[in-house]
Amino acid sequence: MLKVLVKKQITEVFRNYLYNPKKNTIRSKGEIATYLTLFILLIVGVLGGMFTMMAYAFCGILYEMGMGWLYFLIMSGTAVALGAFGSVFNTYSSLYMAKDNDLLLSLPIPTGTIMTARLINVYLLGTMYASTALIPMLAVYWIVTGLTPAKLICGILLYLIVTVIILMLSCMLGWIVAKISMRLKGRSYITVLASLAFIGGYYFFYFKVNDYINAILENAGTYGENIKGNAYLLYLFGNIGTGDWAAAGIFTVGTAILAGLLWTLMQRSFLKIAAAGGSFGKKVYTEKTVSQKSIFNALLGKEIARFTSSSNYMLNCGLGIVMLPVFGIYLLIKGGEMYQTLNTVFSVIPGSMLIIFCTAFCTLSSMNTIAAPSVSLEGKNIWVLQSLPVSGRQILRSKALLHMILTMIPLLFCLICAQTVITASAAERIMLCVLPVTFVFFTATAGTVLGTSMPQMNWTSEISPIKQSIAVVITMFGGFIFNAVFAAVYMIAGHQIGTAVYLLLWSILYSAAGYVLLKWLDTKGAAAFAAL
Amino acid sequence: MLKIEHLTKRYGDKTAVDDLSLHIQPGEIYGFIGHNGAGKTTTLKSCAGILQFDEGEIMINGSSIKKDPIKCKKDLAYIPDNPDLYEYMSGIRYLNFIADIFEIPADIRQEKIRRYADLFELTKDLAQPVAAYSHGMKQKLAVISAWIHSPKLIMMDEPFVGLDPKASHLLKEMMREHCDAGGAIFFSTHVLEVAEKLCDKVAIIKQGRLIRTGSMEEVKGDDSLEEVFLELED
Repeated sequence: MLKVLVKKQITEVFRNYLYNPKKNTIRSKGEIATYLTLFILLIVGVLGGMFTMMAYAFCGILYEMGMGWLYFLIMSGTAVALGAFGSVFNTYSSLYMAKDNDLLLSLPIPTGTIMTARLINVYLLGTMYASTALIPMLAVYWIVTGLTPAKLICGILLYLIVTVIILMLSCMLGWIVAKISMRLKGRSYITVLASLAFIGGYYFFYFKVNDYINAILENAGTYGENIKGNAYLLYLFGNIGTGDWAAAGIFTVGTAILAGLLWTLMQRSFLKIAAAGGSFGKKVYTEKTVSQKSIFNALLGKEIARFTSSSNYMLNCGLGIVMLPVFGIYLLIKGGEMYQTLNTVFSVIPGSMLIIFCTAFCTLSSMNTIAAPSVSLEGKNIWVLQSLPVSGRQILRSKALLHMILTMIPLLFCLICAQTVITASAAERIMLCVLPVTFVFFTATAGTVLGTSMPQMNWTSEISPIKQSIAVVITMFGGFIFNAVFAAVYMIAGHQIGTAVYLLLWSILYSAAGYVLLKWLDTKGAAAFAAL
Repeated sequence: MLKIEHLTKRYGDKTAVDDLSLHIQPGEIYGFIGHNGAGKTTTLKSCAGILQFDEGEIMINGSSIKKDPIKCKKDLAYIPDNPDLYEYMSGIRYLNFIADIFEIPADIRQEKIRRYADLFELTKDLAQPVAAYSHGMKQKLAVISAWIHSPKLIMMDEPFVGLDPKASHLLKEMMREHCDAGGAIFFSTHVLEVAEKLCDKVAIIKQGRLIRTGSMEEVKGDDSLEEVFLELED
């Protein structure tokens, strides 16, 4: 039974990679391999590459100081933060909010089996994120220090322990989110605010990480002794990776006991939360004067209502809305100092600071993937739009426009802040604004095109199209890759034609690509939407 | 009002609707009956412009649903068998959304919402999110959203499922009023007694093919509709 349920869960997560909704057939082996390879390359290439560099920065030095345990503690801590951050909303959505909970609960399946199947899904996804840090951690350590049977077995145990800790943290946080959701009105906003506070802390740490790395490396001896003296368990934990059998044994048993306890506690509350289906405070209707909206504004209003109704959607696809103004405020406060420092560092390549700023704006804009899951999120409601007298062109444009509005408003604030910091010619200042705006136009249309071309209509948890669809993955990481190429080409050769011209060329490229994609949406996209 | 000519719809190798032709005139309540999987929903969805079909033509009020879907959809309303409405909207917001799409002026829509919501005793729940609605309440909301823009043709898939007896009775009255005013209704049902009492004409579909159609008297003669249906199904 458990195997059947887990298979169902996994198939749903990777449904888009395995199934072609247009042809209503299973994809060919070649297609599946291509999609999965692309997915793995994006995850491993972007995140894995970052953590491999981090592992190399720590490993050799700490190992030579006899503090391999501190290396494992830092890297494991990073993996826990990454995995739990990536899984908490997945836990809430797939465990408690799955649309097939009622169906499964009505079948003769033990509640524990349903919950375990959901948790295995959460475990696998958390492990996928954490592995981008854990695998480089182990591989780099084994390469740098040499591999022994003890290091190999204890390393694997450490990997398993960390992934189970991530599962436990995700479960606890998911349970808290579920409890909050049961009690509060306007819970999507409250969940978003609470999550933003968490994310704020996360990014604060992220941006300070270089300082922390340097501080740790410079004072490794002192920190190490302090941890050893005051938090011996952490020292012991880090020692697992170095091949310490005793530490591995203690933590394996300890983690298993804690996981068992948590599982028991969750099983007791699962039915109550899953069957609650959310609470709705009783609102009494009083008639108010309404004004007639145009058809397009009605469609846009519908998209706004969809976006703001879901904390999952806002947090996973709209993080740029918060990050852009935060960056803008940071520029106002510390931008001058940062500009001068970086300008000195990159003085060899003229205009590189403007390119770095543009890359930063575009990267933060890429964190918004609002348009990409929008078609899939219509799900079973798609009949409403398909039966109404609205064209596919209007529908898809409203989806792309919401993405543009929600990204461009904070982006413009950020661009205004940047203008107060930079030293540049009038042409360069204008292009600094034009390029990110054209980039947003391009990503909004590209996201809508991908969402329409690769829809995922049959989902039981909205987290599936929001977080796990090919369209979202390609839109986000594709944006990052475009930005990396944009910066790299300038540094290598682009600076020779001048900054303003270089920015103009990319702006033309993004505008042209966005226009072509918009035309596709108006014609083939509209036809594809009608055929869904 | 609705002219279906040689409609054929296939799902892969399976032919769901096979060369189906049907004409519905203004003023007619047309019942569509058949066993599960006979092709009723596929036909209704094709007529509503939700499903694209392989062969044939569907004309609504003189316009082709294939060539001019927007014009056709302005004249029709469709209610599916399972009213999956926007759960993130409140009832009133959903009705206003539909009214905006059909460009219904504010004063007219408010009067209609007031009237139909009162009739279906849904007024006090209009501020609630649709997610909090029961199946029957969603069905009532779907019915109101269909009637709010005064369509010429209303197509419904099992419209009485989930409705309480009072609401069912009310819906039947509204259907008759709509047709008396020159509109037309095409609906599927498994409740043969309802079809027999309510419909002017009826069509029986089996395995995607229309096996009998005509006025109620022509189809059933002196027998009950149930007897005729069961005989045809055997």
